[in-house]
Amino acid sequence: MRVADLSFPVVLALICAVPFTMGEFTAHQLGLFLLYGIVAQGIALCWGKVGILPLGQSLFFGLGAYLGGSALIAYETQPVVLYPALLGAILVPAALAGGIGFLVFRRQVGSGPYFSLITLALTMLAYQVALSTDWLTGGFNGLSGIPSLPGTDPWTNLYWVIVLALILSTTVLLWITRSPLGQLFQAVSENELRMSFLGYDTAKLKALAFAISAGLAGMAGALFAAQQGIVTPQSLSYLLAGELLIWTALGGRNSLIGPVVGAVLVGMLTSELRNTVQSWEIIMALLFIGTVLFAPRGLAGLTERFLAPFAQKTKTDRDDLRTVDRPLVPASLRFKDVNVSVGAVNILRGLTLDVKKTGLHCVIGPNGAGKTSAFNAMTGRLPVTGGQIHWKEREITNLPPHRVARLGIARKLQVPAIFPDMTIGQHIDIGLWSTGLTVSEMLGQRAFRRRNEILDVLHDLFPVLGDESKRAGSLSLGHRQVLEFALSVIARPNLVLLDEPCAGLSTEETAELTAAIRQICRKFEISALIIEHDFSVIESLSDHVYVLHQGAALSEGSLEDIRADTTVQAVYAGGRK
Amino acid sequence: MESSVLFLLNTSYAVLTLALVVLGLAIIFGLLGVLNMAHGEFVAIGAYCAFAVQSAGLPLILSLPLAIITTGAVGWLIEASVIRHLYKRPFDTLLATWGLSILLREGIELAFGLEYRSVSEPVSGSVRLLGVDYPIYRIMLMVALLIGFAALYVWYRRSNAGVRVRAMIANPQLATIVGIDTQKLARLAFAAGAASAGLAGAMLAPLVRIEPFMGIDFLLQSFFVLVVGGLGSLEGLFIGSSLIGGAESAGSTLMGGTAGYVTVLLISILFLWLKPEGLHARR
Amino acid sequence: MDRRAFLSSSAMALAASQLPRVATAQATPVGKPLKLGFLIPRSGTAGLFGPSSEACIELAVNKINAEGGILGRPIEALLGDAGGAPSDTVQAAQRMWRRDGVEAIVGEHGSASREAVAGALRGQLPYVYSPVNEGGYCTDGVFTTGETPSQQLAPAIPYLAKERSIKRWYLIGNDYSWPRITNAAAKEFIEDSGGEVVGEEYHPFTTDNFDSSLANIRDSGAEAVLINLVGGASVVFNRAYASFGLDKQALRLGTLIEENTLAGIGAENSGDLYSVSGYFDALDTPAALAFRKTYYDTFGVDAPVLNTLGQSCFEAVLFLQAVIEKAGETSIDAITAASEGISYSGPRGDVTMSGRFVNANIYLAKAEGTEFKIIENFGGIASGTTCSI
Repeated sequence: MRVADLSFPVVLALICAVPFTMGEFTAHQLGLFLLYGIVAQGIALCWGKVGILPLGQSLFFGLGAYLGGSALIAYETQPVVLYPALLGAILVPAALAGGIGFLVFRRQVGSGPYFSLITLALTMLAYQVALSTDWLTGGFNGLSGIPSLPGTDPWTNLYWVIVLALILSTTVLLWITRSPLGQLFQAVSENELRMSFLGYDTAKLKALAFAISAGLAGMAGALFAAQQGIVTPQSLSYLLAGELLIWTALGGRNSLIGPVVGAVLVGMLTSELRNTVQSWEIIMALLFIGTVLFAPRGLAGLTERFLAPFAQKTKTDRDDLRTVDRPLVPASLRFKDVNVSVGAVNILRGLTLDVKKTGLHCVIGPNGAGKTSAFNAMTGRLPVTGGQIHWKEREITNLPPHRVARLGIARKLQVPAIFPDMTIGQHIDIGLWSTGLTVSEMLGQRAFRRRNEILDVLHDLFPVLGDESKRAGSLSLGHRQVLEFALSVIARPNLVLLDEPCAGLSTEETAELTAAIRQICRKFEISALIIEHDFSVIESLSDHVYVLHQGAALSEGSLEDIRADTTVQAVYAGGRK
Repeated sequence: MESSVLFLLNTSYAVLTLALVVLGLAIIFGLLGVLNMAHGEFVAIGAYCAFAVQSAGLPLILSLPLAIITTGAVGWLIEASVIRHLYKRPFDTLLATWGLSILLREGIELAFGLEYRSVSEPVSGSVRLLGVDYPIYRIMLMVALLIGFAALYVWYRRSNAGVRVRAMIANPQLATIVGIDTQKLARLAFAAGAASAGLAGAMLAPLVRIEPFMGIDFLLQSFFVLVVGGLGSLEGLFIGSSLIGGAESAGSTLMGGTAGYVTVLLISILFLWLKPEGLHARR
Repeated sequence: MDRRAFLSSSAMALAASQLPRVATAQATPVGKPLKLGFLIPRSGTAGLFGPSSEACIELAVNKINAEGGILGRPIEALLGDAGGAPSDTVQAAQRMWRRDGVEAIVGEHGSASREAVAGALRGQLPYVYSPVNEGGYCTDGVFTTGETPSQQLAPAIPYLAKERSIKRWYLIGNDYSWPRITNAAAKEFIEDSGGEVVGEEYHPFTTDNFDSSLANIRDSGAEAVLINLVGGASVVFNRAYASFGLDKQALRLGTLIEENTLAGIGAENSGDLYSVSGYFDALDTPAALAFRKTYYDTFGVDAPVLNTLGQSCFEAVLFLQAVIEKAGETSIDAITAASEGISYSGPRGDVTMSGRFVNANIYLAKAEGTEFKIIENFGGIASGTTCSI
């Protein structure tokens, strides 16, 4: 067990000791801030693990509180109805967040600040709605006279229910963090584009994380209603959302326990000292700014740095050999009169191109010919403004990247796109899982044991891949190219798009990688479409060559045909870069 | 007839003052890409300057230079101490400026207390305009703002400084190469944005409630304008102010105050979701 | 003196119950300190009522401790902020009750907070609610000493209707229970006086643009506006009201326009503005003058101006003194029993409790610049609400 893993048992022991040592009032207060801590844990999941920042998490806390409070008022004496209704206080916020998240993320790749601002605006909207719907929420006065959970008293044993909720939330989050799902979340936060080129629906993954965090917030809200006996629009306000965020940041957004510690330490101290120590809030503000500037991982980050020498990673053996079961179909890709323009610039002008056979195909052309843009157009990165693209008789024009990837088209980018803070082993996992995981695999440990024949071959070709605990960010450029190539082919796509796979490599490395591409593509019948400038690479990797010029096809044929083609010679006469 | 004159005047007032308040936030976001969450507090500092000037028995007009100097200096200090480290970390600027907003708000509270303050208008009373009584101070403010914005627009389009600023927006690297000191310009831009917010606060002081928490409302309003209008251009600012000010004014006239606010929120959410670059984007 | 520094130092001095200003001239209280909790607005839209309330509490505590305390026990005052949302006020109340062990709570805050706090106290702790209120509630454990609509509006509306020939009334208030219920009562008094209500609207506390309301008032042809806005909202509304020239169209009657609010409204905006209340700084009865003198002698001429809400805190302590001494203890049952028919004398004059509400004097004042001038004494008026004991 890692030393860092001990933090939760220690914190839990302290929490359990409070009612016995510090009296019922302090325990009651602590209970309140533990509830806020649960919400903060959810924020940390979104922010620290998935890279989306929800600015208005009080929306789900407040919603849970209103739902829980109404349920307790209406069904206090009917446990058969009450408990399902209370479950609704978790599920409704979760479903709402999932829906909002999916709608927003599907439209916007990347996790820019727009999502954050939308959550903020929604919270403010909910606050207004709660204020003005007297008949439903009690308006400004709020819902009051809410009874506690049956058999509990807010001043005594409800505390233990809250502690149980905290244990539940921590366990769920810990479980997720250590499961394949957690690894996928991390990968999305590190390189969302790479994930979508592997076929992962990142909008769904992000929406799922948001939904989980909202469910936790809803649970905390329902318990808040039981504990406080009153729910006012204040529970929905952006001021609370801001405080929650500050606690998360101070406690540590990458940590599980940090946000709880942040909520309890900062929140509880603030409510105690706000009125007596004049400059308390000024100190808090300075502390917060300092944290943002100098310690982005918060309190937990500081202690982790201290404990880092004691931490060690365990390695799982890959003993679950899978055969690659994607059906073998000959490659068939067709561009028909494809136009792409960005602003006033026409990048592709009626590009027509037909890839009919399985094999290695090179795409060449001077700079600005539209080679990379052709790749972008077929993988959903550039909007196609005219014409069609077909893959195996299926139209893929303007499909989103992950849907194209799922049809068996993999892509390696020109500048290697990897997950810098993840290990080589994690990259291999993510590549292997891209064929799909069941829910139980997503949450279990078994998927970590996977391997396949391609991985075995890759291991033989590139010994660097065997060092699975090495951080990808620490690799040389050559090894990054290898890693991304491995990531692209490991699930055996039908077609892999390689954009200058050997850019920036030494002569030996180029020869090695070229040989590997040949060997793997031939052995596993993967077709490749390769953009290349380097004629040594083209010579060894071209069954067929396509020449692009000014956004359209200029010529195609075997390398000899192309060499003999006078139009191609004319284009290249000006010399090439 | 008279009702619609009043509505028109009220809407113009709402739009113009909104544009005034947003200007500072737009300068800082447009030039530096920093979403300054402490914007509202700069407005508040400006308003408190007016309060201080009036309580000291001095003529209110002095509050304008005082507000500009005070907020400009605070802005300068903040850029130099905090913002400068964060240009490459958008989430963190959001959080750091949020922290700054708390800091400034608490500073105001320490200096002036939590009570509501008020500043009386330098000229009170109303004038009769097309059959309706309208406050003189508002009319004066609107005229001043119209002239001010027209001058600003001409300056922005014509002057050398405008060209430099636009060059920096369009291409920061190139600006450095051709010898524009971007770091100094950035500090100047932040201070100018802060000072503009302070000026807005001082001008609006006689018309709004003055208390330490007043800033948040100004921040949110300004936010919505930027979202709808598009980030980083004067045209976008005017379009956004008109849409948000108009929607709020119309919503609250037709259906009451809360409805106006809700309308604005809904419009903003739709824009953030479907057209996040706003109506008049920079590029 | 720096206002804030004074506040916190006075709060701490109060909490420690070591009051240097109180000479040990008379009997020094010797018993176990009697802790009283005070929930007063120290922030938010009603925050402007805080400073005078704190000063009045200090004054009352000093006075009673100098006289030997209550049942020989010195009073120890604990202050909590009630300027925020009701849920925050509940937090403060619970802290006082559960942790600090106060034996009674005095609340000078909005009615939404009153319902929330009363719910949390579950009728187990004496809870004196001192400010202007909507009446008509009988929550367990709550004793109301402030003015009800029956006391304020039953006399004031017919008076103005008659003296100023007012028929068309417009009602405006903040959006919570006190303004809504007060306006419901006002409608009856308006009808009884032969008038009609031509408009009614409610605003959240954060509103600071009343343009559309003012346009509505203008179009409605109202002759009088009944204002149930609180603190900052009232200031903003009244300033805009006058600057649009509406003060020439319709008079204003406020149920909670006290001296601080009036100062905020300003002399140039206070034309044709009436306020009805049990206490004004300008009140010149012997009891009020004596109270006023002690207050300004203690805190200086720059002290926060005296007003009905500050006075209500002072009076709440007097009520507690009277009722606890009669009951001989602080249990809720004994206090409830002792409260019926109890009388005490405060700045408003003689006050008698009946059915947990009080019968007290009511005055109508008109603003002249930033000061009130009392124009009518309606005498002692019943609360209109009687709760069972």
